[in-house]
This record gives sequence, C-alpha cells and structure tokens, in this order.
Amino acid sequence: MGTEGAGVREVSLREVSSRGGEAGEGRYLYCVAEEGERRALGPIGIDGNQVYTIPAGRLCAVVHESPAAPYRSEDREVAEGWLRAHAGVVEAAWEVFGTVLPARFNTIVRGREGRGAAENVESWLRERQGALLDRIARLRGKAEYGVQIAWDAPGAAAQVIAQSPELRRLEEEMRSSSPGLAYLYRQKLERAIRAEMEARAEVRFRDFCDLIRARVADLRAEWRKPDGGGRQVLMSFSCLLRREEAAGLGEVLERIQEMEGFSVRFTGPWPPYSFVAPG
Amino acid sequence: MEPTREGGGALVDLLDRILVRGIVLDADIIISLAGVPLVALNLRAALAGAETMLRRGALGRGEAPRGAPEPEPRGWSPAGPALR
Repeated sequence: MGTEGAGVREVSLREVSSRGGEAGEGRYLYCVAEEGERRALGPIGIDGNQVYTIPAGRLCAVVHESPAAPYRSEDREVAEGWLRAHAGVVEAAWEVFGTVLPARFNTIVRGREGRGAAENVESWLRERQGALLDRIARLRGKAEYGVQIAWDAPGAAAQVIAQSPELRRLEEEMRSSSPGLAYLYRQKLERAIRAEMEARAEVRFRDFCDLIRARVADLRAEWRKPDGGGRQVLMSFSCLLRREEAAGLGEVLERIQEMEGFSVRFTGPWPPYSFVAPG
Repeated sequence: MEPTREGGGALVDLLDRILVRGIVLDADIIISLAGVPLVALNLRAALAGAETMLRRGALGRGEAPRGAPEPEPRGWSPAGPALR
C-alpha cells in the first residue's frame, strides 16, 4: 500500500520558491494525537521533512516546519508522493500514539499578528482541548473502513421490465409502432425505467444502511442516483469499528456481494479521517 | 469478505479521505486555498484511470479483485434518501 512513508526526496529550489512564503513560517499539520510530550518521528514527512510533535496539555499536533504556502503541483507523481507521505506520517503516528485525529492534506497553520505558527498550533490545541479529547475517546481502539457498492444497471433494467406488466406493455407498443411513434414510446419507457430503478436503488440503499449500521460503531453514508448507464457505484460508506469486528462487517458485505447485480469493494483499515467531526 | 489496502481502488479510497476528510482548522489560522486544489482534480482523475487499467491488466501490477467497483469521481450526494 505504500503507506510505510515516502523516501527522502531532494526538493528543488524552484519548487520551494514557486510555492511562495518563507521557510519555517508555517506548520504543516498531519494529525492530532493523544500525547503530551515533545517527540520526534524522523524525516518521514512530505519532501523528507522532519516530523515532530507540538504538545499542549494531554494532546499534541504532529507537524513539520513548512513555508506558509500550500503544496501545489501539476505533476501527478509529485502530488501522489506528497499524499503518500501524508498518509505515511498519519499511519506512523497512529502506530506510535494509538489514537489520532487525521488532518486534511494541506492543512498549514500560519503565524499571524506577531504570533508564530507554532504558537498558534499550541493555543489552538489548548482552546479545543476538551472537544478534541472527547473525539479521541470516541475513536480509541477503532479504525475506519471504506465500502463501495456498485450496481449493474442493464441487468436491473431488464429485471424491472420483466417484472412490470405496464412497462412490458409499453415495450410492446414501442416495437409495433412506426419509427416516429416508437421514438416517443422509447423516451417514455426509459423515463419509467429510470424512475423505477431509482426507487429500487433507494430501497436497497436503506436496506444496506441498516445491515451495515448494525455491524459498526458509526457510519457515514453517501449515495447517488443511478444514471441508467452500465455498472455504477451507487453507495459509499465510511465505517468506524474495532478491527476485531471487521469480520462481522465482512460477512454482511459478502451477502450483498452475492445478490444479483451488486458488487462490493471493502477497503481498510484506515486512520479515522471521516470521523474527526461530530456526525 | 476481507478488507484490503492494496490496489488502485484502495489507494483512491485513502487519497480521497486525505483530500476531502480530516480535521479542518479555523480559517484565521490556516493558509486557505481558493477553489479545489489542482492536485485533487488531476490526481483523482488520473487514479480513476489507473484503476481501470489495473483491472484490465494494462499496468501489469496485477488484477484488482474481480467484481470490485471502479472508483468514481466525486459527485456524491450526502443527502439522498433520508436515513433513520
């Protein structure tokens, strides 16, 4: 998976200066962790930067010193390297500190009005200490898993027609009409099929939500309407649960995978990126 | 069914999370980006393409599991049908 951390990479002067800002003015935030001491994690950060903690109270921010400018690149390899490095640091912190609140890519704290970036990180940790500790307590011992469910639309459309006398009748009319009229019948038929498929997808979505929710501590669910074209991912779930309970979730997903027309992708365990804010 | 962290699909799942999930700090202490970061659009589109190629064996890095859904570009509706 490549989350063992990007290797050290020489940063070209052009890239540094093109990002703007002076060196050291910002603190790139990887995550918040339950750790109250200053710790060094080594040169595992983006562009080989030294990663270390800024503690405050019972928490710390895992950071590297960066220019006060976001990481931007049109080079896919460069961008992918940065993202993998970010993932790698969050994973390392997860292993070392136990529970982490992952930050989004390119979260860079800056200095402002006479206060440096490090100071701002520290005061932010103190001000939010209670809420952050609450969140950490909720996530302790758990990991995030991703579930995506795809639906084979053509197969479903055929089923929908076969099971509806009304739609079969419409199809008959279409076949036995003149070309102009047949076109209109086709429009009507396709609209009717799409509406029926949306309705069925919605029912399935609720069913799967219930099945999955019963096996997880927390759930974020997203869906989209079937667009009528081929195989399509309809549902995306982020699941929070203990690793030991992933097998139970896997059983439910296996049953869904075995259903006609559905296929499931199950990924993880990930640090809990999707559960850092109250749902 | 076992969860996986291998393959293009898993990579997209991870990078998706890093790009759009995670802690967001108060605007006054962070460097903010106007609009969607260029890296997000290009990379996701490129990775969606890579996943397709993986499944068809074109990249020679092994097949993704059969039946695994292809990663999709964003366009999700978090609203959708009301959840109990």
